[in-house]
Amino acid sequence: MKKAITAMLGTIAIALPVAPALAAAKKTIVSIKKVTGPQAVADRWGYVAVTLVVKKTTTIVGTHKKVTRKITNVTVPVYPNHTDRSVFINQQALPWLTQEVLQAQFNPNINMISGATATSYAFEQSLQAALLAAKKA
Amino acid sequence: MAIRVEHVMGMPVVVELRDEAADDEALFDSVFGWLRCVDATFSTYKADSEISRIGRGELTMEEASDEVRYVLARCEELRAETGGYFDARVPSGVDPSGLVKGWAVDRAAAILDAAGRTAYAINAGGDIRFRGGSWRIGIQHPLEPQAVARIIEADDLAVATSGAYERGSHVRDPHTGQPPSGILSVTITGPDLGTADAYATAAFAMGATRATHWTARLRGYEALTILADGRVLATPGFP
Repeated sequence: MKKAITAMLGTIAIALPVAPALAAAKKTIVSIKKVTGPQAVADRWGYVAVTLVVKKTTTIVGTHKKVTRKITNVTVPVYPNHTDRSVFINQQALPWLTQEVLQAQFNPNINMISGATATSYAFEQSLQAALLAAKKA
Repeated sequence: MAIRVEHVMGMPVVVELRDEAADDEALFDSVFGWLRCVDATFSTYKADSEISRIGRGELTMEEASDEVRYVLARCEELRAETGGYFDARVPSGVDPSGLVKGWAVDRAAAILDAAGRTAYAINAGGDIRFRGGSWRIGIQHPLEPQAVARIIEADDLAVATSGAYERGSHVRDPHTGQPPSGILSVTITGPDLGTADAYATAAFAMGATRATHWTARLRGYEALTILADGRVLATPGFP
């Protein structure tokens, strides 16, 4: 899976227009830029777009100029999510699912039952049928 | 309260009106009349249905009714949305049954809305649409026929469940042809029963791992997945 992630990130990096966005250098001391790339086709996985926050520091000493650029944040506003691999990669952003242990309630106070009870025979045998009989009584 | 149960579209359908009125019987007639009309048009078991005629090449999409064209177009959208796990295409042509039941109930609910009813429930073989007041809907326990696994409380919602405890493992992964593994049932809630039903069918066919990942990403719909190891996983907004 690690290999798959590397491959995916490689694709994202290729899709980014990093160079043109950062080329507009000015003689300011510190500048922070938010750059969003276009929606690019990430190979067969679908569309992806990446937003980077870049902090640029320019130090001028006499005629000597030193420029450093640092990526301070990366977000992915558009991403593919229809394959296991994509889902795995995107899992970082997944909301947590709540988890509990399966329990059986035998005398529930309910109005109706949702289930895969499609056949008449199963319906006759079901709690739903008992519930209905009780309502009609 | 007024209730009518009829066997239509191959399953028992329950319509419950909370507030009784003089036109109850006429309203029941019109709802079940609509459902029988859907059955006559969409059934793959009836040789003269539009779906059967399309399958035999006797009816083109252009000649089909608006309802059939809409449902088949929606099936294609759902196939794309679910990564192919909901797929109405079959060797004999097309079988949109996985969407038709929920869609037909949504339209039946619209009949009740148009008649001014604000508190009712329609249950078609375990897929339910209800509104008005507080409804307590049990989710069938997948291993205990006489028990429920969870109770939903809401006042306006669609609930669809797909599982293997009934009719054997009739749902299969369309990509592998195999029954899904590690999963007992998936329940989807949301505004539209047709969509909820298709999502539940697709998620169940995905099997445990893929289904939990996929349902966590749904927009506008919530999911409760019961796994074979006894874990019950729900999206944070599940009612």
